[in-house]
Amino acid sequence: MGVRLLVGTSKGGFWVTSDDRREWAVEGPFFKGWKVTAGLRLAGGGFMAAVASDIYGPAIFLSADGEEWEQVEEGPAYPDGDDRRLRQVWTLREHRGTVYAGVQDAGLFTSGDGGRSWKPVPGLNDHETRGGWMPGAGGLCCHAVLFDHANPDRVWCGISAVGVFRTDDGGTTWTPKNRGVYWAHEDEEFKEIGHCVHGMAQDPDDPGRIFRQDHSGMYRSGDGGESWTKNETGLPSGFGFPVVMDDATRYLFAVPLEADQYRLPAGGAIRVYRSTDGGDSWHSASAGLPAEHAYGGVLRGAMAVDNLDPGGVYMGTTSGTLHVSRDLGESWVNLPVMLPRVLHLSAWVG
Amino acid sequence: MPTVTVHLPSLLEPVTGGVRELTASGGSLREVLDDLVAREPRLKPHLFNEAGEFRRHVLCFHNGTNTRWLACLDAPVADGDTVLFMQAVSGG
Repeated sequence: MGVRLLVGTSKGGFWVTSDDRREWAVEGPFFKGWKVTAGLRLAGGGFMAAVASDIYGPAIFLSADGEEWEQVEEGPAYPDGDDRRLRQVWTLREHRGTVYAGVQDAGLFTSGDGGRSWKPVPGLNDHETRGGWMPGAGGLCCHAVLFDHANPDRVWCGISAVGVFRTDDGGTTWTPKNRGVYWAHEDEEFKEIGHCVHGMAQDPDDPGRIFRQDHSGMYRSGDGGESWTKNETGLPSGFGFPVVMDDATRYLFAVPLEADQYRLPAGGAIRVYRSTDGGDSWHSASAGLPAEHAYGGVLRGAMAVDNLDPGGVYMGTTSGTLHVSRDLGESWVNLPVMLPRVLHLSAWVG
Repeated sequence: MPTVTVHLPSLLEPVTGGVRELTASGGSLREVLDDLVAREPRLKPHLFNEAGEFRRHVLCFHNGTNTRWLACLDAPVADGDTVLFMQAVSGG
């Protein structure tokens, strides 16, 4: 079964494809000179990509074939005169025919027509705690959206450095869900925010079982975010950005970094940590990864799984290197590329 | 109504489908810019901010003159004039 990776970098997008997950072909860059910040393969066919430029701002593009791209005329945007700016789309997700775009400045927008038009989610974007929202080092961004396949009215999102929010009424109202997570900074008025969630993963059978790579550590919730507990046994550091789950095995993958003030792989070795027991314990699964003089980190959107059997795991680094495992992290291959800083990586089968 | 030629930087090729030279019409520079984004609405958010001003690092030259130096965009234009967009690139 072939795999197609969309690798979004600070200077363009790349297709990395393989029919057997052994031999890989690289095409690109497309959107040359633009940041490619998020990607989505639409359920109805075709692709969506979010791009951004420090000079020219953000945009969303659609493509039927991944070759020819057309910019959406009316992308997500805050109203004219608003003090918020649409600087970048951080995540694109689709659920039940609706596309969700998590953006910076932090907010959520939805599209019911495959990305041609967008509308804001005011219950989140204008949340009563908004005045206390503080940016993380990467900006004030909504970077994660999770769904409940059994309950269409329940959605979670992750905002840095604010925390996790959940709606139970289809997006009308949102409630911070961060109990048990340490603050990144304490707001004077709103005590339920100020949490710097970095990455989120979710059990496909139990949507309320959520894993959270936070600034302050690796957490797990078994009750839809009502409460969180830290589970870091075996991790060399609680700090990191991505956490992803293989749907078939429920194996989790994370990339710890040395302390938040450094944000570097410890000892100059890129190491992936895997949990095979739902986050109870973590073990290095790094065979084949650069083991010395390697200081590229993996950003929150730059790691993905393909959910094949055995599962493939993929990641790109801030140094522009790409690493693939086709055996759930048992072994890794370092692809012979040196791309720009990798911001985003999606993996699609077929 | 005078028609001017508008030149775009290569970074904007994805926006226009690879087109870097367009025409736009108007009696003033402002009308030309309005016509430009009416013809190519996808350009608007890349050239202008939410307040309708040029984005900070977008440079617009009218016949070689930086339009930021103009008191306003009501300067008249003539057939054959050129409008050139560039990005201000800083750093070393």
